[in-house]
Amino acid sequence: MILAFLNLTWPTFASGLALGGVYALMAVGIGLVFGVLRLVNFAYGQLIMAGAFALAFGSQWGFPNWASILFCFGVVLALSVLMDWLVFRPLRGHSPAVMLVATFAVAFLLQNIALLAFGPLGKSAGALAILNAPWDIGGVFIKKIAVISIVTAAGCLLILQLLLTRTPLGLHMRAAAMDFRTARLLGVRANRVISGAVIISGLFAAVSAVMLSVQELTVVPTFGTQDTILVLAGVVLGGLTRPVAATLGGFSIGFANGILGGVLPADQSQYLPSLLFAMVIIVLLVRPDGLFTRGGSAVERV
Amino acid sequence: MNLVRRAPELLVPALLILGTALLGLAVSSYLQAYFLDTLVKVSIVVALYLFIGNSGVLSFGHISFVALGAWTAGVLTVPEDQKRVVMPGLAHFLVTTNVGNIVSLALAAALGGAFAFAVALPLMRLSGLAAGIATFAVLEITNNMLTYEQRIGPGLNAFSSVPSTTGIWQAAIGALICVVLAYAYQRTRFGRMLRATREDPAAAAATGISIYRQRLLAFTLSGALAGFAGGLYVHLQPLQAGGLHLDLTFITLAMVVVGGAGSLLGAVVGAIALNGIYSFFQAATNGVDLFGWNLTVPSGTAEIVLGVLMVVVLILRPDGITGGREFSLPRRRPVADLEKARATT
Amino acid sequence: MTALAVEKLSVRYGAVEAVRGLSLEVKPGEIVGLIGPNGAGKSSTLHAIMGAAPVTGGEVRLNGRSLVGRRPEDVARRGVALVPEGRRIFGELTVDENLRLGLAARRARRNGHGLGRAYDLFPMLREFRSRQAGVLSGGQQQQLAIGRALVAEPDFLLLDEPSLGLAPKIVDVVFEALAKIRDAGLAVLLVEQRAQRTVALADRSHVLANGELRLTLGPQDAGDTDRLVAAYLA
Repeated sequence: MILAFLNLTWPTFASGLALGGVYALMAVGIGLVFGVLRLVNFAYGQLIMAGAFALAFGSQWGFPNWASILFCFGVVLALSVLMDWLVFRPLRGHSPAVMLVATFAVAFLLQNIALLAFGPLGKSAGALAILNAPWDIGGVFIKKIAVISIVTAAGCLLILQLLLTRTPLGLHMRAAAMDFRTARLLGVRANRVISGAVIISGLFAAVSAVMLSVQELTVVPTFGTQDTILVLAGVVLGGLTRPVAATLGGFSIGFANGILGGVLPADQSQYLPSLLFAMVIIVLLVRPDGLFTRGGSAVERV
Repeated sequence: MNLVRRAPELLVPALLILGTALLGLAVSSYLQAYFLDTLVKVSIVVALYLFIGNSGVLSFGHISFVALGAWTAGVLTVPEDQKRVVMPGLAHFLVTTNVGNIVSLALAAALGGAFAFAVALPLMRLSGLAAGIATFAVLEITNNMLTYEQRIGPGLNAFSSVPSTTGIWQAAIGALICVVLAYAYQRTRFGRMLRATREDPAAAAATGISIYRQRLLAFTLSGALAGFAGGLYVHLQPLQAGGLHLDLTFITLAMVVVGGAGSLLGAVVGAIALNGIYSFFQAATNGVDLFGWNLTVPSGTAEIVLGVLMVVVLILRPDGITGGREFSLPRRRPVADLEKARATT
Repeated sequence: MTALAVEKLSVRYGAVEAVRGLSLEVKPGEIVGLIGPNGAGKSSTLHAIMGAAPVTGGEVRLNGRSLVGRRPEDVARRGVALVPEGRRIFGELTVDENLRLGLAARRARRNGHGLGRAYDLFPMLREFRSRQAGVLSGGQQQQLAIGRALVAEPDFLLLDEPSLGLAPKIVDVVFEALAKIRDAGLAVLLVEQRAQRTVALADRSHVLANGELRLTLGPQDAGDTDRLVAAYLA
């Protein structure tokens, strides 16, 4: 297996960074909502699935690419807000276990609705697939989508960082994640902060949907599920209660997934999930509070 | 006196199981399949409840034990000559080992328990979300391995040629065994110690209860029961790795939570009620006659109904149908008066 | 007429009645003290005003309009600021960010000198502007918490045991600041366990025990320890 790493090439490295970037975005999306609602959204993968289907439909209906992408954003945002109103807000204040199981239920529900509506074979992914073509960078062929993903992820994270540190809304969101009760006593509007988190989380899900669907031939109802599970593992592994740690956790597992996926020989690559999850278990045993936390932060008790 | 009062706690779930079994005998063989499925689900759900209900820790990995039990019982009971055809990659010693029905179930339980023990040794030190994700990881690894490893089972394909020994009686007795063992466990001091850790971990630890050891015990026991249930399951229908993964995890978890995660009655009620509704809508995909109306729904409706039901119950009644309580006979007067007296001071 | 009035207020947590039939009033330019033993219902009164505790009877009125049933952030936006028990500052945010957070409750028609006023009142805070609030000492954190409440330029300032855990010298600093705040025209409702100092500072002090108002004292009673003790134990 060690020899496999001698197979590491620039394209694979770039894929690793790209997948790491997308997973980092997903980790932020999940982490933001967790910060303000103390709720882990298992159904995040379904947001991405919905976005991917929207892209596929847009392409089928002959929309130009920019319109498909906009349609994707619209669908994902609408679904995010709906999830928040119908499920997350009524559940506020319940035990973390109940909230966890509830989002699991929403995920199951949405997946089966998609199954009912679109069938198990799904739809073909659409015109954006051309981005799979490579760019020639100094003699090395790197997929366009890899570069775009890296740049987009970095850009989104940067913009978010600016939002969080330079704007009042960002400050309110950070404070709410630390101590919602006191923040409200100071005048921070609960609804606004929650809506802000939900919307940003939705935007990131839409971006992730676009990035991920370029690399798939078809969009099926389980689109994004495996990735979401890995991201969730990455977030907990990195440190759920610290935003930066959670993002790094997401990135790490995405990076590992991308690299190992490119580096493992074909007959072993089907065991990639086992490898990744085994790594997750080991990390959780060694550092249950998170790999990237400074130790001592309390994980929510379920 | 206490024994008489407490008897309904075991009897009611047992009667529910027997009732389901008897109903199953009375209907057509087409519908009987649903009753059989329900009874096996009761076993799985009770196994899950034994750990989750008593410890308060969520496990997403129990279906791995069901799967391992199914694989064990299945591989060892397919007739030897069929094995070479149906599972060509199977390891030699598995091809030559063949056991009878009861032995296969016992082995399924044993392996389920052993695997659960091995998993619990490192994992029971974790709590909360870390435990959840870790058990999820176990589920993923197990599913991944069973799907692709041809040397230990059918891999991607469904099991076939497994003797269909799970009829109404096997399913019902199996469920009863699980219920009796779960009830016995929760009445022992181990069960009570574990429940104490659920209510107040700090206080429990302060009285010398080892949270780790109690969870280890419960997890192992529940893994054994889950393996046993897997054995029952494989003798009922041609199982496939894909069917022993996320969907089944969700469905069984839903049954525990909706029934009421804190009680055995809740687990049984949840399993029977939810699987009943699920089965109804499954049957309705082929058309069902309801008071003279014919109801036909598109396939997949059953899952959607289950999902909606679960979300609604969680929002309106997060403690589940039974509220986490066992069945108890109506209280006698003195207690009622005391409460009344307290309210007026 | 500008006033924050509590009328026959009852607060109940489940089966426990924390406050029974309490009535008091605070007006601009005065400090009203609320003292009493532990568990007397003092904190609950402040939380009820802020909309963070369940009001089961009576009224809370701000300039005649009822505050009962409003969300905490809405009460804050009406010009009522709370300095919570234990300070509850945001340790991972900088001092400046903590103060800016207070701006969330600012009302539009204010002229926006809130941050400057906080820094003027507690000059020490300027030195620590960009440092994480968690590195401040207890006394400094208390000053930050008060400054943060003032940033929104409220009309009414509620304080929940500001002297808790502070050395006497720091308590002096805090109480002097309160006097200045009162002189600037705000209305201050001060919940405290240090009975004597509060009675001496406040225009009037209400003694609360077991959720009920037992006695009202003026500054002249500050030396009368017998009366104080009797009121506490009544």
